[in-house]
Amino acid sequence: MSLVIICRRTLSDLKQHLYTQLVTTVVVSLSILIFSFFTLIYFNLHQFVERFGTELGLVVFLTEKTPQEKIPVLYQRLTGLPGVERVTYISPEQAFKRLKDYLKDEKDVLEGIDPKFLPPSFEVKINRAIFHLKKLRLLAREIGHWPEVSRVQYGQTWIERLESFLRFYRILVLVSGVLLVFTAAFVVANTIKLTVYARQEELKVMRLVGATNSFIQGPFLFEAFIQGLLGSGLAIGIVFVCYRYLQGLTSGSELLRGIHVYFLPWPYILAIITISILFCVSGTAISMWRFLRQ
Amino acid sequence: MAFSQPSLLPDYIEAIFFIMFFKGSPVIIRLQKVTKRYPPDNTVFSDIDLEIERGEFIFLTGPSGIGKTTMLRLLFCAERPTSGEIWIDGVALSSVSNSQIPYLRRKIGMIFQDFRLLSDHTVFDNVALSLEVTGLKREQSRDRVVKVLEGVGLAGKMRQYPFQLSGGEQQRVAIARAVVNRPAIVLADEPTGNLDQERTNEVMMLMEELNARGATVVFATHDDRLYKNTHRRIVKL
Ligand SMILES: Nc1ncnc2c1ncn2[C@@H]1O[C@H](COP(=O)(O)OP(=O)(O)O)[C@@H](O)[C@H]1O
Ligand SMILES: [Mg+2]
Repeated sequence: MSLVIICRRTLSDLKQHLYTQLVTTVVVSLSILIFSFFTLIYFNLHQFVERFGTELGLVVFLTEKTPQEKIPVLYQRLTGLPGVERVTYISPEQAFKRLKDYLKDEKDVLEGIDPKFLPPSFEVKINRAIFHLKKLRLLAREIGHWPEVSRVQYGQTWIERLESFLRFYRILVLVSGVLLVFTAAFVVANTIKLTVYARQEELKVMRLVGATNSFIQGPFLFEAFIQGLLGSGLAIGIVFVCYRYLQGLTSGSELLRGIHVYFLPWPYILAIITISILFCVSGTAISMWRFLRQ
Repeated sequence: MAFSQPSLLPDYIEAIFFIMFFKGSPVIIRLQKVTKRYPPDNTVFSDIDLEIERGEFIFLTGPSGIGKTTMLRLLFCAERPTSGEIWIDGVALSSVSNSQIPYLRRKIGMIFQDFRLLSDHTVFDNVALSLEVTGLKREQSRDRVVKVLEGVGLAGKMRQYPFQLSGGEQQRVAIARAVVNRPAIVLADEPTGNLDQERTNEVMMLMEELNARGATVVFATHDDRLYKNTHRRIVKL
């Protein structure tokens, strides 16, 4: 059967059953909108935690009795670690100076204190592009086992707090996603069933005059395809508008300038559209099959 | 090439065999011990044997409720017999799968007792549907649809909807739809069912004309006035 016939019949179908088509599309669109909005927020929080964690890098504190000649060796070892971008040695004197700078007006409290009382340390910058929080943690643990190292610090406590929030949020996204899929499935399946019922007579007559099942199904499946595409496209479009708005907010404010807002990555978008289309088409095929099997 | 020669022979013979015994066979519809029973135990008819020749015009008669519609539905594969076998143009219907039924139906034009017209399609579209389902484009089918509608005297009402037509006109749309793809077999279920004498005569003329052009016609009716003076074969159920 030619595509032209399918398209023409689909068009006339769409005209005749505009209302039910519209309802289905809106339901699909709303479900995907809610889901992708949650996903977008999750995705951005995740990115934020990842980035912030690695941006902090590691601070490796050495034991006070580490001999001076060990420093270059440790420096080499640290630079040689995978994912390490830059290593800076902070001598006790430098650390003391930093502390003084930090205290500014209250630097008197340091009066009479040995400028070497702070332990020597390394600041380790991590290559963001290849690094994950999980690896950062492993790296910190590994370095912590070296005998010359007394402590390794990174933004542990608050990263962990953020992460546990993220874990909770992820469950929220998943649960809402599953619920939305079920609701959408229910509503879409019912609208399709109604459409098929409303046109039962027509389908019967088509069968009687010698239409094959694929001829009868063609326009329905094509409609479902369009619904899935339109519904998900619309939803993602709306999310994109929201994203642009947020982006405008963050770049307009001094306070939020450092925060970069990300949009859903392409694979996510493609997956959402594909799933939406598959979902509509297979739903229609199943409802039709129930009818055509008789 | 020499060794391919022997393999040609069986094909050739098969083709002749096919033409002689199937295509050339005068019997186009054959029923053997056909029984139809609806559950639990409503036996409509049993052990029917019948042969209808190509180009024949037969009346399928009997009072209402005797099973004429059921018989036509069996021939049309809308229903399967409880037992027995039916051959249409040499094809045993028990061997026709559900997905092949549409292709069988394109060889048969069925005029339904209750017309079965689509109410939200115009007269033209109703008739064109028969051709459209075979994959014919609208431009290709237009002339044929117009010609057939002219034949049944409805050329002027092509753009109207079934509910705007009288019963007799709807009947003629149903006939037009059944014959527009020039089927070898026309099954007519009470095509004069609710028409007055004049319209009945018109429909009879139409059916005679179809038969004269070569179609095998099975005409189901309970009205004995239609076949009182006919030379046609009458099958009583
Ligand atoms: N789908 C069905 N289920 C059960 N019984 C049926 C069905 N279709 C027809 N019948 C029965 O078959 C008998 C013959 O009906 P029908 O073929 O319509 O007769 P006719 O066309 O000669 O008036 C009737 O008794 C009817 O009740
Ligand atoms: Mg009947």
